[in-house]
Amino acid sequence: MILPQLIVSTILLGGIYALIAVGLTLIFGVMRVVNFAHGEFLMLAMYLAFWAFALLHFDPYLTLVVSLPLFFVVGLASYRFVMRPVIHASHNVQVFTTVGLSIALQNVALVLWTGDSRFVRTDYYSMVVRLAGAVLNLAQLIAFAVAVVFTAALFAFMRWSYTGKVMRATAQDRDASALMGIDTDRVYALTWAVGITCVGVAGVLLSPIYPVYPTVGLQFVLIAYVAVVLGGLGDMAGALIAALVVAAVEVIGSYVVGTAWKEVLYLLLFIGILVVRPAGLFGTRGAEALGT
Amino acid sequence: MKAIAPALVFFALAGLVPLVVRDPFLLDSLILILLWGAAGAAWNIAGGYAGQVSLGHSMFFGLGAYAAALAGTRWGLSPWIGVLVGAAAATATGFIIGYLSNRLRGPYFVLATIAFSQVLLIGASRWRGFTAGSEGIPVPFRAGFWTLGIADKRIWVWIILALAVLVWLVELYLERSRRGYQLAAVREDEDAALSLGVPARQLKVAAIAVSAALTAVCGALWAQYVGFVDPVYVFSVDISIRFALAAILGGLGTALGPFLGSVLVTTVETYLRAQFGGIGAGFVGIYLILYGVALIVMVRFAPQGIVGWVGARLRP
Repeated sequence: MILPQLIVSTILLGGIYALIAVGLTLIFGVMRVVNFAHGEFLMLAMYLAFWAFALLHFDPYLTLVVSLPLFFVVGLASYRFVMRPVIHASHNVQVFTTVGLSIALQNVALVLWTGDSRFVRTDYYSMVVRLAGAVLNLAQLIAFAVAVVFTAALFAFMRWSYTGKVMRATAQDRDASALMGIDTDRVYALTWAVGITCVGVAGVLLSPIYPVYPTVGLQFVLIAYVAVVLGGLGDMAGALIAALVVAAVEVIGSYVVGTAWKEVLYLLLFIGILVVRPAGLFGTRGAEALGT
Repeated sequence: MKAIAPALVFFALAGLVPLVVRDPFLLDSLILILLWGAAGAAWNIAGGYAGQVSLGHSMFFGLGAYAAALAGTRWGLSPWIGVLVGAAAATATGFIIGYLSNRLRGPYFVLATIAFSQVLLIGASRWRGFTAGSEGIPVPFRAGFWTLGIADKRIWVWIILALAVLVWLVELYLERSRRGYQLAAVREDEDAALSLGVPARQLKVAAIAVSAALTAVCGALWAQYVGFVDPVYVFSVDISIRFALAAILGGLGTALGPFLGSVLVTTVETYLRAQFGGIGAGFVGIYLILYGVALIVMVRFAPQGIVGWVGARLRP
């Protein structure tokens, strides 16, 4: 029976994609910035897990505890020095700022750690769990569980905490929220840092499953873009569902046409959405024309 | 005349250099400066003049490179025909992308162009029967002008210079013609331009198609000059960024800007390659770190680029 396997693989993969996509869509929703450097922060987190494992024999799940506050601080710092000066600039300036950040980070990794693929080979690397006729990798299962808990915590934070409400208010109308006495600069800093923390966690979770190299971010972030646009840029719940859709396309696509062409499938899906319904499945029409 | 004098001096100097300089390293640098400058200027037609910022322009460059290489290896045709085929293929692709992504603005358009270039990258590296896959294609050297097998780098300088002047003339047309003014109006405020009866959609699509065709010519000549086409390189986002960087450094929407930007970008890269290339190959990455930092600093402090910055200071 192949169907349970496909379903389980889809859900596991979708959980991890969701965590990457949620950070990206949060940053877009509140700050109106498409973060082209998102994948590079993911790459840095994967390297963190690799080096902690190689040098200090830290298990990736132990590194997770370190990576959470660390990437929050990295997020705050990169906001302060790179993003804050251009937060009110035009879209093109913001695009090139994050693209510049992406090239710089990618090549810092290349110069420091070479282009070799590196792999965190834990003891439980090839351990599998059998469940309802499906076989799953243990690391993937843990990654999924942590990603779900983390995403749920983020949703709860956005929904019920005062800070979360302030962030959502800023997303809805930045001028009105500034008039209500909300310090939008602090909100942006926090949003950016939380978004980066999401990939900081995701990168560490991915490290026991995928090899890391300086340009690894691109493949994951492309998937995240697909999910984010499909769900409607800025829509966190939409991103979750869309992440599952993208994962389904990837899993079923690999099964039907083979792994070599699976990327083409979701890229075509991406182009199709951009052309037919750029506001995403659940978004409002006209959001794609945010030229003003 | 006064406005184009700096450009004329620039191109005249570039054309005269081969008469005095014989050093292959310097000539090679000059060829690359002109070539990346021409590609940056071609990008500028869409990204600068039409305001359609693309980070997928490598797809047109790659189409040109593959057309030239395949014309020689697969069909035994002259690479000049490959140049035409590449330009035609890129124009068609440009039309398709222009029409499909017409509604998209800002980051959405950027994402769409990246996605298109990734599709071509995967296509070129996986369709082994046609493109030889990810190993790439060596472009055979067959001596003669018709087969573009030219060993003399001085002749290459003049060929690429002709291409550079061609792209520059197109840019000049956009600065001085009615269509160019209309395009500028669309870039600044599409809704206002539409309400005045400017055919915004046609103009944007045409700008992308012309930009695509010229980028493909750059790619085809580049493939012939370098002698090897690697899908992961010619279709990479990095190359697209390089075009954009040259235009942004020099000045978005200025005719000479991309060439001045290319002088900076290419010189720094060639210098660092020559300096560190042998010792630690990893050090080559340093110029890319500089690219990234330069991009961040430039759009923040001098978004108008070199030409705009100098221009603002020369005016009384």
